Amino acid sequence: MLTLLRDLRRLRNDIGLPRPERARSLAVRHVDAGSCNGCEHELTLASAPQYDLQRFGFGIVASPRHADVLLVTGVVTTRMREPLLAAYNAMPEPRLVAAFGDCALGRGLLGLHSELAGPLEAILPIDLRIPGCPPTPDAVAAALARLCDSRVY
Amino acid sequence: MSSAYRAAVARALDAGSRFGSLHASGANVRTVLVSPEGELHVESVALDGDRAPSIVDLAPAAAWDEREAADLYGVRFDGHEPLRPLADHGGGLERWTVPVHGDDTYQVAVGPIHAGVIESGHFRFHVVGDRILHLDARLFYKHRGLERAAEGRPLEEALVYAQRACAACAVSNTVAYAHACEHALGLQPTSELARVRTILLELERTWSHLNDVAAICAGVGLAAGNASFAALTERARALNGRVTGHRFLFDTIDVGGSALSIDAATVAQARAELAALRAAARTGWRELLFNASFEDRLPGVGVVTEGDGRALGAVGPAARASGIAEDARTASPRLAYDGFDVQTAGGAAGDVQARLEQRALELWQSFDVLDALLDGPVQASAAQAAAAPAPIGLACVESPRGATLCVVEHAGGTLERLRLRTGSYANWPVVAHAAAGNLLPDFPLINKSFELCYACADR
Repeated sequence: MLTLLRDLRRLRNDIGLPRPERARSLAVRHVDAGSCNGCEHELTLASAPQYDLQRFGFGIVASPRHADVLLVTGVVTTRMREPLLAAYNAMPEPRLVAAFGDCALGRGLLGLHSELAGPLEAILPIDLRIPGCPPTPDAVAAALARLCDSRVY
Repeated sequence: MSSAYRAAVARALDAGSRFGSLHASGANVRTVLVSPEGELHVESVALDGDRAPSIVDLAPAAAWDEREAADLYGVRFDGHEPLRPLADHGGGLERWTVPVHGDDTYQVAVGPIHAGVIESGHFRFHVVGDRILHLDARLFYKHRGLERAAEGRPLEEALVYAQRACAACAVSNTVAYAHACEHALGLQPTSELARVRTILLELERTWSHLNDVAAICAGVGLAAGNASFAALTERARALNGRVTGHRFLFDTIDVGGSALSIDAATVAQARAELAALRAAARTGWRELLFNASFEDRLPGVGVVTEGDGRALGAVGPAARASGIAEDARTASPRLAYDGFDVQTAGGAAGDVQARLEQRALELWQSFDVLDALLDGPVQASAAQAAAAPAPIGLACVESPRGATLCVVEHAGGTLERLRLRTGSYANWPVVAHAAAGNLLPDFPLINKSFELCYACADR
């Protein structure tokens, strides 16, 4: 099993990820509010060995009660509006909302008007914007590092 | 209950066809059937007011299609009892779950928000102790109304709705859409167009199957296996980005042709990287096979028998792992799969192990297809007029998750109705069936052995 992981150091060096200047940790709760699954697949690979964002202190947590950041993907469908608000309301303060991907940013939304509750901006205050369709794992790293270094949090 | 429509569907099924898809369209309900040779044909029935005869007794695989048509188009299906809501989330539990009663039975509700980075959907398990008696899956949390939003647009423009249905199946869905449009417009792809689309389909399958192996490792908690195959998934997706400009191959498919051109050097580099990926995946796979604690977790879990798989309309690697030797690639005259052979995992036990082994088998096949097709630069190409236009176009494309069916109805090149029935849509009822009788803690593993998209089921 170690064969593929042996050249990990090289893999990581090749990528040259940004890292926060201040050593901080950030607990992230992801909510899919109606994505095309692209954001989820890229977010999943942010944990792949090449990026391994956990080593910078960025962890995906299972419960919104443990989260600093609510990371939202998708257009916000009518059916996901309530679960999204429930997750947000369960978070301790201070809490931040990150709009992940162009749909969450309200750009180029596709869908039937009556099935969409969004854009996210109309539902929750957005603190961090991560554009892309979908954002790449290195864009995720850069955005989270920026958030750590900002005075917002 | 007797009608010419039902009789025609029954005749086709008796002759060996499988149910393909069903949708409401204006004052009609249309069923697509897939013959053993891969030919598609439509049986339609005119609505009597808002009523149509159900075919769910003939083809249980039509259950979700009829429930969706009832919720979104208001069709009432005679003979489909009880007709539980699917997309309509109104009302209480008794409306949409199967009643399960008895001593010590209770329910476990999971979702729509899950613990990790997972799409949204709700599962309601009826259990005794740790044993799952029945699973009701409620999807459509991500329903964006894409099919209806696409209506009224020019066929070329509406392709983006099929693309954004699901990033993981973006090529499969858009090729199915483009084929359906070209079928309706009487166009036939040239060999270069067939080649480029086949390359893109197999590039999509490659990252997707690598991702599925990683997901199954995660399902049993084998971190090293998950990390190994996640690293390979990243390499495959990065390759797609270098070759086409998009990691999920977005905007590479058009109706009536292909604007994509890739120079000889880039193609040669892609071929070399795929050979390296194949070697690395082989090594990783061998190491998985020798990991006894991992291998012990797979057999006998989440079994789908061949008979159940056929009745429920299972497709793709999941169906083939149950011994259903069907693959839309064997009947794809619009693509470059000449001589493609269906392979099924040894024993075809229909369990998690068979579904995992099926992914590996198909990975090696995809590497073979890509190696053969990446033999020179990719050039822009266009489909050629070959037949008279027709109001309805049909297509079936093998996505990483199984046969994806697309129906396009148009009037003079304006889309009137789009039906995209993806491999995930076909297989979700099979996941629920596979879970029954298993232990609740095994569900994540069973679910990941199918690794279906919620997005392209919900649309």
